Amino acid sequence: MLLKNKNAIITGTNRGIGRAMVEAFAANGATVWAHARKETEEFMGDMEQLAIKYQVEIIPIFFELTDYEAMKQSVKKIMSSKIPVDILVNNAGITYNALFQMSTEDNLRKQFEVNFFSVFLLTQYISKLMTRNKKGSIVNISSSAALDGNSGKSVYGASKAAVICMTNSIAAELGTSGIRANCIAPGITETDMLATMPTDVVKLAIETSDLRRGGRPSEIADTAVFLASDLSSYITGQVIRVDGGIK
Amino acid sequence: MLSGKTAVITGCLQGIGRATLDLFAEKGANVFACCQTSSADFVQHLEELSRKYNVKIIPVYFDLLDEAAIKQGVKEIQQAKMHVDVLVNIAGTNIDALFHMVTMEQLRKTFEINFFSQILFTQYITRLMLKQGKGSVINVSSISALDGNIGQLAYSASKGAIISATKTMAQELGPKGIRVNAIAPGVIQTTMTANLPAEAMHRLLSRSDINRVGLPIEVANLIAYLASDMSNFVTGQVIRIDGGIG
Repeated sequence: MLLKNKNAIITGTNRGIGRAMVEAFAANGATVWAHARKETEEFMGDMEQLAIKYQVEIIPIFFELTDYEAMKQSVKKIMSSKIPVDILVNNAGITYNALFQMSTEDNLRKQFEVNFFSVFLLTQYISKLMTRNKKGSIVNISSSAALDGNSGKSVYGASKAAVICMTNSIAAELGTSGIRANCIAPGITETDMLATMPTDVVKLAIETSDLRRGGRPSEIADTAVFLASDLSSYITGQVIRVDGGIK
Repeated sequence: MLSGKTAVITGCLQGIGRATLDLFAEKGANVFACCQTSSADFVQHLEELSRKYNVKIIPVYFDLLDEAAIKQGVKEIQQAKMHVDVLVNIAGTNIDALFHMVTMEQLRKTFEINFFSQILFTQYITRLMLKQGKGSVINVSSISALDGNIGQLAYSASKGAIISATKTMAQELGPKGIRVNAIAPGVIQTTMTANLPAEAMHRLLSRSDINRVGLPIEVANLIAYLASDMSNFVTGQVIRIDGGIG
């Protein structure tokens, strides 16, 4: 129970790594604001059964990450609940594989809007709440693509690299206010996003990795729990690669 | 978090090693607690841990400068017939000397304790881990290996060697189910930093985000994460634990 009495906002929780995060956080005793873009019966039912299974509160919140007005309204709702925000996990993200010379301006902007600008803005809002309580942990999902420079990932990688840079500055500025900020860089993880990558590229990456397999969303979620919890109290401004040792 | 696991930890007498030993016992691990020499206090502490947390804590004594003694220590661990899941290489030494002043003897001694003996010990213990096809090795490096540090030529280089070795071990042992990672602590409140001059302390902490020294328990928490199944997909990494110095 590493997150007992802690309240966490997690974005992009309807599937993939985000969904695994809600489960891992709930299993560790946290109250979770579970964000998704759209309200669906399926999502509501899923969150409800998790809440019952782990005996915690899971509060669904909905907004498009590129809709800043809707984001602001959701943050206002969180503020008015008077529940202190201890943890923010910026997980939601999109990818669109394209070689550098084939990347369109539209996809450049779209990926930066979702993967970086919305993360920047949401973190501005939530970190302000955290500084009032003089404590907090921000966990941002970057990517091995931000660090390694992979073919087809010039836009995605750049947007995720921007997240790293931003996170390190946040750590430097807000450290003395009791707020830690770190990134996780997943490698090959078994999610819908992986299906957008060429199979031969994925196969080679796995074959040349230390652990010879792709990662499970729950394995990324476990590191998020570690960084969100007090176990990592002396760790800030870091990027932890959870990638099975890909090269 | 570590229940059912058996760990070998070196440097258990004080500082980070002691905090790691205590935390592992609390989290339910059995521990082969290695240190240089036996003492009544140490033995009593192990017995208390064992009683309090209902785990096996077995002392193993050897001098890292004595290859035969290391071999003997490994034999004792083998003879206990407990499967080893985790190895934490914590024991180390620091001899402060500026680059132009450091002697070859100081350099060699630092490398003997901080690097050569650890490689030998890890060779032995990971061979035991191969039998069950799963294991986690945690090596203690230092931010001085990554950043360099005035007066720490020998120390920083020996800790740098640990990093390269960690990545190579991770590549060779990964397919066999053994993860190998390193941690890079910053300024941690132990006997090793107790005599750090105020000016050096200030120089380091002024670069940090949270502006304080770290506690041994905070380092132990990171080690526990790397020892546990929470980090099952993490290998070949160097994780800084330094309050945001780097």
